[in-house]
Amino acid sequence: MSEKFEHSQFAHCESGVVSTLLTHYGLKLSEPMVFGLTSSLSFVFLPIIKLNNMPLIAYRELPKNIVNKVSRVLGIEIVKKTYKNGIEANKDLTKFVEEKKLVGLQTSVFYLPYFPKDMRFHFNAHNLLVYGKEGSNYKVSDPVFEEPVLCDEKELTKARFAKGVFAPKGFMYYPKNIPSNLDLSLIVKKAIKKNAKSMLTPFPYAGVKGMRTLAKKISKLSSKDERYLKNYLTHIVRMQEEIGTGGGGFRFLYAAFLKESKQYNLNQELLDEASSLLVKSGNTLREFALLCVEASKKIEKFDRSKIAQKLIEASKYEEEAFILLKKI
Amino acid sequence: MEKIEVPKEENKVLEGHQKVMYTTTETGDFQRTNYGSSVEEFATQTAVEEFEVLKQESIENIKRGISSPLEYFMYENRMDLATLASVVGMFQFRVKRHLKMSNFKKLNEKILAKYAEAFNIKIEELKDFKV
Repeated sequence: MSEKFEHSQFAHCESGVVSTLLTHYGLKLSEPMVFGLTSSLSFVFLPIIKLNNMPLIAYRELPKNIVNKVSRVLGIEIVKKTYKNGIEANKDLTKFVEEKKLVGLQTSVFYLPYFPKDMRFHFNAHNLLVYGKEGSNYKVSDPVFEEPVLCDEKELTKARFAKGVFAPKGFMYYPKNIPSNLDLSLIVKKAIKKNAKSMLTPFPYAGVKGMRTLAKKISKLSSKDERYLKNYLTHIVRMQEEIGTGGGGFRFLYAAFLKESKQYNLNQELLDEASSLLVKSGNTLREFALLCVEASKKIEKFDRSKIAQKLIEASKYEEEAFILLKKI
Repeated sequence: MEKIEVPKEENKVLEGHQKVMYTTTETGDFQRTNYGSSVEEFATQTAVEEFEVLKQESIENIKRGISSPLEYFMYENRMDLATLASVVGMFQFRVKRHLKMSNFKKLNEKILAKYAEAFNIKIEELKDFKV
C-alpha cells in the first residue's frame, strides 16, 4: 500500500471509489475496468418500486454491485463492515485513518454538508473515501468532486446511518489480500459475456427489453396531468443524468472499458465495433433526455411517440452491441 | 469511431462545481472531461420545485385543518412517506395517519420527539406550528 494519497475525480461514485481503493492498495485498475469487470452496465425499470412516487429506473446494476462483485470476479478479499451505531462506527473509522488506511464508505447524499443544496436528496447509495482526520473533521475524497473536502464527524455519521431504501448502516469497506498474478484476459472475457447475457435477458423490465418497456410506458403517458407528466419525464432524466453520469454516461464508461479490453488478447475489431455502438447509444440517450426536458418545459409539444422512439433507437444499438459481445 | 459530444452548458445547481464524463480523444482513446449540462440542471430544479409545491399545498391543508405539520416538515426535508416511516421506525400506515391533523393532535411527547429528531427541529416547532 502506498502512503501518499492523491484525490481524483470520477464519472461514477462506486466505480471511482473502488478503482481508487484497488490502485492505492496495489492493483492499478482504471474506473472503466472496474465498471466493466463487474459487469455493471444495465438498465432496470421497476414500476412497482417507488421513489417519491416515481418508478425505479437505473442505468446500471444496483448499488453495491461493484463492491460485492469485485471480490468474486478478481478474487480480492474485500473487508466489509456494517455497524449498529455511530459511536462504534466512528471509533473504527478514526482508528483506520490514524493507521493511514484508506477506506470506502456508503453514505446518504442528503446529509453531506459539502454537497450543493439542490443536489441533496435522500439517495442512500453514495460512495466516498476517507483518507485522514483533522480535529473533528474527516478528510474526504468524494469521487464526484474536483477537490478533496472536509466533513464534520457528526454530519458524516448521520450520512452513514441514514434510513430508507439502500440504507447504508455505516457500511465501510477496503481491500485486503490482492492476488498478484491475475489473468485478466480470461476475466475480461467472462465479464463481457456475463454483461451481454444480462443486457439481453428476456425479463421485460431489465436490459434491452426493459428500455423498450419504458418506451412503451412513455408512449402511453397521458398529457392530462401536466404536473405528473413533467415530474415523470424529468425523473427519467435525473436517474440517467444526475444519478447517472451525464448523457448516458454509463454507456460511455462501458465503451471506454471495451476499448481498454483490447489489450487482453480478444477480438479487437469486435470490441471496436461494440464500443462504437455503445457510444451511439450514449449519444442517443442524451438526445432522449433532451427531448424529455423539452417536453416538460412545453407540455403542449409533448410528442410521446417521438420520445419513445428515441429510447427504442438506443436500445437497438445496445442490442446489436451485446449480441456481438456475446460471441467474444 | 463515433464522436461523443461534451455539453458545455451552465448548471447553477452545482454551485460552481463540475462533474466528469468519459469522452473520446482525436486518437479514439477515452479520457475524463468536465462537462456542464442544462438538461441535468432542469431535471434537478424540477425535483426541487416539486417539493416546494408540495410544501405550499401542505400549508393550505394545514390551514384547513386537514394535514398536520408533520406533512410540511416531511416535504421540507425532501422525504416521502416511505423515507419518513423508515427514519422514525414506524409502519407507513401509522405515519400516514399522523400526517392528518385530527390524529396528530392526539400524539404524545414521545412520538413527537421521534419526529422532531427526524426533522432535526425542536418539539415545540411541531406543536406550535403556525402557518
